[in-house]
Formats: sequence, structure tokens, C-alpha cells
Amino acid sequence: MKVRFKIWRQDSPIDKGSFKVYEVDGLNPDMSFLEALDHLNEKLVLRNEKVIAFDHDCREGICGQCGVFINGRAHGPHENTTTCQLHMRSFEEGKVIVVEPWRAKAFPVIKDLIVDRSAFDRIIEHGGYISAKTGTASEANAIPVGKDIAERVMDVAACIGCGACVATCKNSSAALFTSAKINHLNSLPQGKPEEHQRVLDMTAQMAKEDFGHCTFTGACEVECPEGISINNIAEMNARFLKAKLFR
Amino acid sequence: MDLFFRKGVIASTGLFLCLFLIVHLSANCILLLPEDISRELYNSYSTTLRENLLIKLVAYILYLSIILHVVYALLVTIRNRKSTPIKYAVNHSNENSSWTSQNMGFIGFFILLFIVIHLANFWARIKLGMGEEVGTDALGNLDVYEVTSSLFHNIYYVSFYSLLMIPLGLHLHHGLKSAFKTLGFYHKKGLQAIAKIAVVYALIMSIGFGIIPFIVYFK
Repeated sequence: MKVRFKIWRQDSPIDKGSFKVYEVDGLNPDMSFLEALDHLNEKLVLRNEKVIAFDHDCREGICGQCGVFINGRAHGPHENTTTCQLHMRSFEEGKVIVVEPWRAKAFPVIKDLIVDRSAFDRIIEHGGYISAKTGTASEANAIPVGKDIAERVMDVAACIGCGACVATCKNSSAALFTSAKINHLNSLPQGKPEEHQRVLDMTAQMAKEDFGHCTFTGACEVECPEGISINNIAEMNARFLKAKLFR
Repeated sequence: MDLFFRKGVIASTGLFLCLFLIVHLSANCILLLPEDISRELYNSYSTTLRENLLIKLVAYILYLSIILHVVYALLVTIRNRKSTPIKYAVNHSNENSSWTSQNMGFIGFFILLFIVIHLANFWARIKLGMGEEVGTDALGNLDVYEVTSSLFHNIYYVSFYSLLMIPLGLHLHHGLKSAFKTLGFYHKKGLQAIAKIAVVYALIMSIGFGIIPFIVYFK
């Protein structure tokens, strides 16, 4: 399989950056998108050129490290998937594939396709945890949690923090990510004692970072690899109001 | 100022304006009656509104709502623009979201333009007494019907008025659907119902406001 990659190259955060086109031959349609980039990088090494920097880790769709904008979509043309779970068979032979890093002021480019997502870490630092000691894993069953709550919580706990929600949002809003984290912890008994402070602190940090407002376009829930519902943002808003009124 | 407050102002003023539009369209339906009944009813209705203290208060809330809706929408847009300084070279946002949801500010601009012209034609003449003086009808009420009817017999105005009801419908559809979420309503089935209601509401408003001028024109 042969394709033309048009990839964003940028040496450093202060470098201006530009697109560079690479003709890549010898690809297998069953290769993952990241394997295709590996294949291209091997060729670049042999040509003594700088390899393309991109984030990746588990390559199983669960770590949230990979993530690039492919042909105008976060994580590529399919809904609810990660870049590593995208395969070359999703593209047409000989066509141009445009690859860009996440574009958001809150996610500055470090190098090529790698962006700095530490703004997410700083939101987590402001309450995305519980400070109560809940014992070891085996003691988890000592605190009963209803099945419906457990299911709902699992849906949001699935967030892998890849940043596709911010990347695809026309406003670079981090509302889906933040709401997933808040609704996850605030729905569980372990998270209850700090629920109001958590929602106020995490949303305040979200506002301090360079994220925009959520205008409910719904793009985030389509691109989210875990299919986290946009209704979580509405739930976060309700929790925020409750915290303001009853804290 | 937190992110929620700005969007909360836009959502709550927007919902108030949605309610206002229902009342406005109901009043416009008087124009569909035969001319003599319509004139008398329309003029006495508008006189009642102008002279009622409670309605006066609601009118001030209405002006304030429009201003706050626009000002806060601008503030939100400014922050959103700052958050996205570099655009993608290729972005197929149409594959993951509706065009309307991506362009609420752009659509809103046309509605604002319409409101300014609409107010200049009606509100400024009737309430501020600007421009040509408005006469009275047989019952001594200000002949607002005549103002409306004469404008709705101008094909350019009728076309402009009706055409701009398309962005109104689009704006109302996304606005109504999202306002509840912004204000923290997250009941899944309730939101699905609101999404359906928003379609019906937007269609009734845009078709209703858009077709009445044409009916009056051809009456």
C-alpha cells in the first residue's frame, strides 16, 4: 500500500513549523496508523533525516498517550477510537493523509506531533483524587455501591485523558474531560465528603488554563475514544450550581 | 469570572427570549384575521401592552436580556478565539457536529441585524415617536396595525423579514437544546425530549414569523 503523508514538522515550541510531504510505500493495510508512522521513521533514519516525533505508549487504546488530528478529525476518520486503533485500511491507496498535532492554546506543541497536555494534570491536581484512606483493593467491597451507580461511574472513569475532546472542540474546551473526572469521583461514596470543593476547584483550574467555553457542539462525544456522553457536562454544571448554593 | 457564569447568563436570557417569542408570534397571528377585526384587535392589544405597568417591567427585562445575551456571547467568543489561536489546516467538523452548533455567533449576528432593523421600523416609531407620525384608529388607539400592514406590503421588507427567519430557526434550535444543559439539566430522557421540542419550537417560530408577512402581503 502506498500513501502520501502530509505531516506537521516543528522542531521546538518556539519554532514556526510547517507541513512536509512524505511518499510512503510498502505499507500493509492491516498496519495500525502508528505502525505506518514507525515505518516512515525507519525510512527517515536510513536517509539520515530527523524522525517524526509522536506520542504513544500502550498501543492498545487504553493509555491515552497517542492522539493526532488525521484528515480533519481527532484520532482519524472513525468515531470513538484512538489513533493506535486506527488501521491503514481506513485510507484509500495513493491518497494524501494530513497529520497535525492537537491545536489548542492550552496544548502547546513540544515537537512535531507531540503536545504538552500538562494542563489536564493541573486540573487533576485540583481535586481529581480522594484524600480519604479507603484501604487496599480487597477492602473495596466494604463500601457498597449500587450497580446503576457503578455502571454510570465506570462510563466516565473510562476517560483516558487523551485530549481529543479539547482538540476537536472549536473552542478548545476541556469541559468533557473535567466533567468526566468530577462526575466519576462525586458519584461514589468515597468522593462525597469533598464533592463541593472538588467541583469548584477543578472548574476554577479549568478556567485558569487556556481552555475555552463549552458551547455543546457535541463534537467531543463523537471523537472521545471512550464515547463519554456530553450530558456529563450538563451534570457537571448542575454539580457546580449545587456547590455554589450549598457549600 | 467563572466559565459557568458567562454561559449561564447566555442560557437564561436566551430561554427568556424563547418565551417572549411565543407571546410575540401569538400576537402576530391576529394579523391573519379579516382586516377590520384584525385592525381593531391588534391596536387594542398593543395599547393594552403599552399601558400595563407589569408589561412595562417585562419590556425592560426584555431589553436587558437582549443586551446581556449579546454582550456575554461576545465575551464567550473572545475567550474561545483566544483559546484556539491556530486553526487546523484540514478540519471536517461537519462530520462530528452540526453546522449550526459550530456557527452560533455568525448566525446570531444576522438575528441582531434583524432586531436592530425591526426595532427601528416598529419600536422607534411607536414607542419613541421617531420618523413618520403614527395615526389612530376608529377607537382612538394608536394604529399599530397600519404601521405593520404598510411594511408588510413592501415586498423588499417582507422578503428581508422572512429570509432572516431561517437563521432565527437555526439559532433557536441549537440554543434551546443547549440552554438546558448549560443550566445543569442532565436527565437523559428529559434531554432527548428537549431536543425534539427544540426542533418543533424552532420550526414553528421560523415558519410562523416567516409566513405571516407573506400572508398579509397577499391579503
